[in-house]
Amino acid sequence: MKPLSYKQPPITEAVIEIKFVTTFDPVRLDEANKKFAKNYPQHQAVKQQLIKINLPNKEQQGSKATAQREESVGHRRSDPDVTQLLLALPSSFIVSQLAPYSGWEAFFKRFVRDWNVWKRVMGHNEIARIGVRYINRIDIPVVDNVARFEDYLNYYPHTPTSLDPVLAYAIQTENYLSNIDCKLTINSAVVEAPILDHMSFVVDQDISREFNPPQKDSEIMSLLEQIRLEKNRIFEACITDKARARFQQI
Amino acid sequence: MTNTTKIPIIVVKAPIKAIRSLGSCTTAPGIFASTKLGDTSFAVRNPIDGYTFSESTRLYQEQVKELTSPPSPASLQNLPSQKSIEEQLFDATASVKIMTSRVAMHLEREWREKLFNQMDSLHDPLEWMEEDTPIEKSSFATFLKAICQIKPKNRPGLGLAHGGNLIAAWTSGSNRLTVEFLAKDRVRWIISRFRDEEPEQYVGQTVVSHFLESLQPYQPNEWFGK
Repeated sequence: MKPLSYKQPPITEAVIEIKFVTTFDPVRLDEANKKFAKNYPQHQAVKQQLIKINLPNKEQQGSKATAQREESVGHRRSDPDVTQLLLALPSSFIVSQLAPYSGWEAFFKRFVRDWNVWKRVMGHNEIARIGVRYINRIDIPVVDNVARFEDYLNYYPHTPTSLDPVLAYAIQTENYLSNIDCKLTINSAVVEAPILDHMSFVVDQDISREFNPPQKDSEIMSLLEQIRLEKNRIFEACITDKARARFQQI
Repeated sequence: MTNTTKIPIIVVKAPIKAIRSLGSCTTAPGIFASTKLGDTSFAVRNPIDGYTFSESTRLYQEQVKELTSPPSPASLQNLPSQKSIEEQLFDATASVKIMTSRVAMHLEREWREKLFNQMDSLHDPLEWMEEDTPIEKSSFATFLKAICQIKPKNRPGLGLAHGGNLIAAWTSGSNRLTVEFLAKDRVRWIISRFRDEEPEQYVGQTVVSHFLESLQPYQPNEWFGK
């Protein structure tokens, strides 16, 4: 199916994440952070704390419980409008785009640019996971006090009619995409609408390769392009023509 | 003025195929599955964890979690603020820009860009007074709801009230509409106009969903430019 492009895409956040098997040296992470300052002038430190607690078992009576705290610092950078984000974390490299979303080409181009900078500074580290996540929010008008989401969505829970009306829901499904050897996770839920006279429904899809992810750049880019086609196909399958009509409005 | 609030309901009519049972949630890289003390939620988790994402995405995730497992009272706590003025101003403008991104699909790009310029100007550290308060997110949320509904052609001048509420003012000749956007979807407005060279003032307070309707007797298009 040819991917549709919308005047008003409902994408609230698009993300590409590369996760690594081991963590990077903090000094090199700081160096990478500085390299990104030109394109992402805003900076926030991201502190992660991991506390490991060892409790003695029955055979170790008399021993004391021990706790170990590990702290790591990452970097969250953004452009002045806070719509283009980049995260340089000890074990992850993440590029994110908030609305307004200008299309895959622009987003992917930015990812490639930043990925090249990252690799130059950080060197090689085995990739553990490659993931692409698209969070969409579909604003459905409330007419006569009812939002008929089934007219706009093909992805929603099946409930007995005796339980009508549905006030809210949250669902998750996982699927295996055999054609690209990836896992698909879809979350969908009713969320607070940021505009009047509407109810909002999030359709949040995550496609990832966790088993034997590609390590070479050409293969990584090829996989991301494949994921792109799949995420378009899946999103189109999750919505109806009535929803598509809303995204064309300006 | 009425305070009646209708709660929208949603209904399922169409039959659909069965939904598969939930699989096990992936943990990688979700090592930050819970960042709140006392949060026992085991509901929907995302493979790429929300800890690393924008405020709006984190908000969605929290709302998804709350649907299935509300946070415990112990988890509802604020961290003490030890941030400098510059950091507070940055946080405030970043928050409202991210909130604006949530409705970017309902705003003209140029409108959004000028709004960001106004927000940056309002929070300029060089002109910031110690007693000033950065913009309140709840006030800005009310503002966005009003703007997305009214879609005014004319841009308002913006200011901040004590306490951080956003104030918008539209002027047409000597006639002026001033609106203070309050928390919890409320607005307070003042109209100052001249009729037969005599000054008149009208004041009102309502929920944002009734705001436009409450202005109709005063021909608001004079200010909004529609």
